[in-house]
Parts: sequence; C-alpha cells; structure tokens
Amino acid sequence: MSFITLQDVSYKYPLAKTFALKHVDLSFEKGKFYGIIGQNGAGKTTLCNLVRGLVPHFYGGSLTGKTIIDGTDVKKWDTDQLATQIGYVFQNPFTQISGVKETVFEEIALGLENLGIPKDEMIERVIRVCKLLKIEDLIKRDPNALSGGQRQRVAFAAIIAMDSDTLVIDEPTSQLDPEGTADVFAIIQLLKEQGKTVLLVEHKIDLLAEYADEIVVLEKAQVAFQGPAQEVLQNPSLLEHGAQIPQVALLGSKLKEKGIGLAHIPITQKDAIAAIEERLGGES
Amino acid sequence: MDLDFAYSFKNPQLYGNWLMDVNPLNKFNFCAVMAAVGFILPYWWIGYAMMAGYLVLAAIAGKFGPFFKMFYKVFLLVGAILFLMRAMFTEGTTILFSWGNIHVTVESIFYGLRVAGTVVAFCGAVILFYNITPMRDLMYSLERIGVSHETSYICLASMQAITDLGESSKVIMDSQKARGIETEGGLISRMKAFIPIIGPLVLGAISNTEEKSIAMDARAFSAPVKHTFLRELRKTPAAEKAAIILIDIALVAVIVGRIIWL
Repeated sequence: MSFITLQDVSYKYPLAKTFALKHVDLSFEKGKFYGIIGQNGAGKTTLCNLVRGLVPHFYGGSLTGKTIIDGTDVKKWDTDQLATQIGYVFQNPFTQISGVKETVFEEIALGLENLGIPKDEMIERVIRVCKLLKIEDLIKRDPNALSGGQRQRVAFAAIIAMDSDTLVIDEPTSQLDPEGTADVFAIIQLLKEQGKTVLLVEHKIDLLAEYADEIVVLEKAQVAFQGPAQEVLQNPSLLEHGAQIPQVALLGSKLKEKGIGLAHIPITQKDAIAAIEERLGGES
Repeated sequence: MDLDFAYSFKNPQLYGNWLMDVNPLNKFNFCAVMAAVGFILPYWWIGYAMMAGYLVLAAIAGKFGPFFKMFYKVFLLVGAILFLMRAMFTEGTTILFSWGNIHVTVESIFYGLRVAGTVVAFCGAVILFYNITPMRDLMYSLERIGVSHETSYICLASMQAITDLGESSKVIMDSQKARGIETEGGLISRMKAFIPIIGPLVLGAISNTEEKSIAMDARAFSAPVKHTFLRELRKTPAAEKAAIILIDIALVAVIVGRIIWL
C-alpha cells in the first residue's frame, strides 16, 4: 500500500513563471528505497519539499492536484507534526548545523530534545548513531568548525537519530569523498533493512543502481520514468532524457548492439560480472 | 568513542569553578545589583571600588584576560571622555587651572570622577556578566523559567550569525578581489568595494536564514511536545539562593537608606 501518493500534482513557486512540478503522478510504498534522478532544475528538490510538507506550507506558491501522505492531504498536515514522521536531509551542509550547540554530540541530540526524548535514551541514541555514521571522533568538536563533508555527516546523523519512519534525502553525498559516500549508502541500506522508507535524490547513478528498489526520473518538472531500478536503469533512452545510466548498463547495451549481448543488461558491477561470466562460460 | 564525554551529560554540567558554576540568573541578579549601586550611592570612589571588585571576580572565574581586554577599552574611551567633559564643563568654586573659558575646579574633577566611575562600573558589570556567563547557560536557565525555546534559539543563533557573517564577508571579499574589484587601499577604494560586498552578503544571509529554518524544522524544532535537555546545569544550592536574597535585601536597604538620607 502506498504511503505517499501524488495525483496530477502541479506546483509553481511564488512569482515563478514556470512549473517546478507538472502533472506528476507518483506513489511511494512503505519500506522501499526510491532513487530520484534527473538534470538540475528537473524538480527533484521541489518533489522532496512537497513530500516533506515545505511545499506549500513554507514556500507558498500554487499547488494543484492531490498529495496524500499517510492518508492525509499535505495541505492538512501540520508541518511540525510531519517533521516527526518524515526526516529531511538536504544539500547544503553549512546551513544544516543549528549554530547553537558547542559540540557535535549536542548537535545530534538537538532533534531529540525537541521531540522530548528522555535524557538517558537520548544519550544512547546519539552514541548509536555516531557509531553507525563513523563520526565517533567528532563528538567533542565544535560543529561550526567542521568541514562541509563532516557537517553533512553530522546533519545526517541528527536526522537518523530522530528515527523517523521515512527519510527524504536530497543529495547527501555532494560534499563527501568516495569513502564517505560509500558509508552513507551503506547506512541508507541499513535504514532500508530496518523497514524505513527512503527517498534519495542522487546523481551517483552506479550507487543508486546497487541500492535502490525503484527509480524515478524527472525531466523538466515531469516524471519521465518510474519503475523498478533494474527495469529503468537498463533503458538507454534515459540518456535522451538528461539522466545517466550505470556504466555497466551502457556496456551491456553496446554489447547488445554489437550482437554479443548478455543474458540481460546488468545495472550493477556484481550483476555485470555474473552476466559476463555466464556469457563466457556459455561460449567456452 | 569518548564514552566518558558522552555519559558526562547524565550529570549536571560543571565548570569546576565556583563562580562559573553559579546559576546564570543569579549572576545576572548580582551584576544588576552592582550596576545599580553605582548610580544610587553618591560617593565618587564607589565605581572604582566596584571596578577593582570586577577584576578580582573575573580572575576568580578564570576570565581575567578576556574581561580585561574588553574592559580597559571602555575604561579608557568612555571613562576618559566622560571625565574630561565633566571636569572641563561643570561649574565649581575652587578653580585649579583655567584654559580660556574652561575652568577646571576641584568640584568638577570629583564630579567627573563620579560620573565616569559610575558609567564605567555599569559597563564593567555588563562585561563581567558577559564573560562569566556562557550564553547557552543563560538561555538554558531562561528556558527553565518559561522563556520559549524559540526566543532562546534566536538569541543563540544571532550570536553565531555574527561570526558567520564575518566569515562570509571574507569569502565574498576574496571572490570580488578575484573578479578584479579593489577592496583594499585608501578610504575611497574601500567605500567603492562596500557595495559589491554588501549585496551578496545580505542576499546570502537571507538565503541561509531560509535554509536554516528548514533545517530546524527538520529537527522538529516546533514539535508540539515538551522539550527535554541533554545538557543541564546543577540545581542552585541553598547557600547561593540565600546569598542572592541577602544581596537583593542589601540593595533595597541601600535604596531606602538613600531616600532617608536625602
């Protein structure tokens, strides 16, 4: 059953001449990991803002169609209440730090203080999330003196600590190195295993292919594709819609064009190795 | 992970210095009384005695350096100007020396000392309070007595915003320099550089405020539940409460005495 449903949703920011979202129909089921891709300006962040209730409550603008979150229209949701249901991590690491806490440990606990979590539980949760995100070494540091990547991890930790059932994550790895990026994806996978619903905007398509259950492709404020990751990401026509496909899927398509196709077009490295081995095994 | 640090939040946060550990509201009470006393008592030396006391208290709190760094500037600037103005332009009978129409008298010197001492002592009380009271402790104490956490956040975030704006202005200045805009040199060059710097700075600050409010929203800042605190201060000891009550009674006594004496 879908947890979030968008029916013919169109949205324009105040004073904007063009739609940020246009006739969008989407549904997100509980416990699934959705990857959202598309060019800059395609409407990815607006979609996140809508699901998080910031559109229309915070930004205003004109919203038409229906956006149902957990059975209630987004317009009727109290955003403060929605904040406890849906966690949100966004791009800019420098504005996600509260600026009022002197240590990372306190910064991560801020959301828990706001939720009225008892102190002992709060401490245990923060310790757990610091271990999970491998930021144990940062707990005594001043959050305002951290690098962009470190701040992004702290912001991520703060939201994970709040233990929302759904997480909307807008390009969390834009400031991270490859190791940090891999760590973040591992955490997202862990969240998925815990039954959380994850909506992740990300440009790193190879990693999305590895972890996402479903992919949504946005193009010029509209949904160009939506479906299971395996199905969507092996489609070379994604490239014509301004999205990327995994390198191995591109390789699989090229091999198919040359008449030496694999059993199926792989979208992950592991999948590609298996398909190539199968193909080579078949020839020998 | 430093678990000792993590679990230290289970206990009230202490600085290990009795003055620093005094409840912030009691520190405020004390400093407010000190500031008021300077205005109430008519003696010229009261302000200077209080300044000496502030220096001692700042040293006890381990904040002598930061306190003195701020205080001596106020002492030299505000104190000196007030003293000179009063000493030169207050009428008196015992003239010490004259310079044109300006007559410096014994009375004007004592009046100048009193006014300068009182105002500088008032400023000293504010500076002392600022130095011995971490802002977050003050806001915690205010929240405990019912001030909204929104107000508390605005106060604390404003302090951080000053630092952030300073850093942003440096970044913008460097960017504008890279574009060939002169930001250094004489007064005219600096004034010309002001416009291309202030625009991006203000717009950036507005944009950051918007994102910051979204970030706080994501942290359930306005969640309709009673907030809890990770970092808590100790309960005020009975002796401290008694001392503050005595100080307040002393202030009332001074005010009453002054009224009767007048």
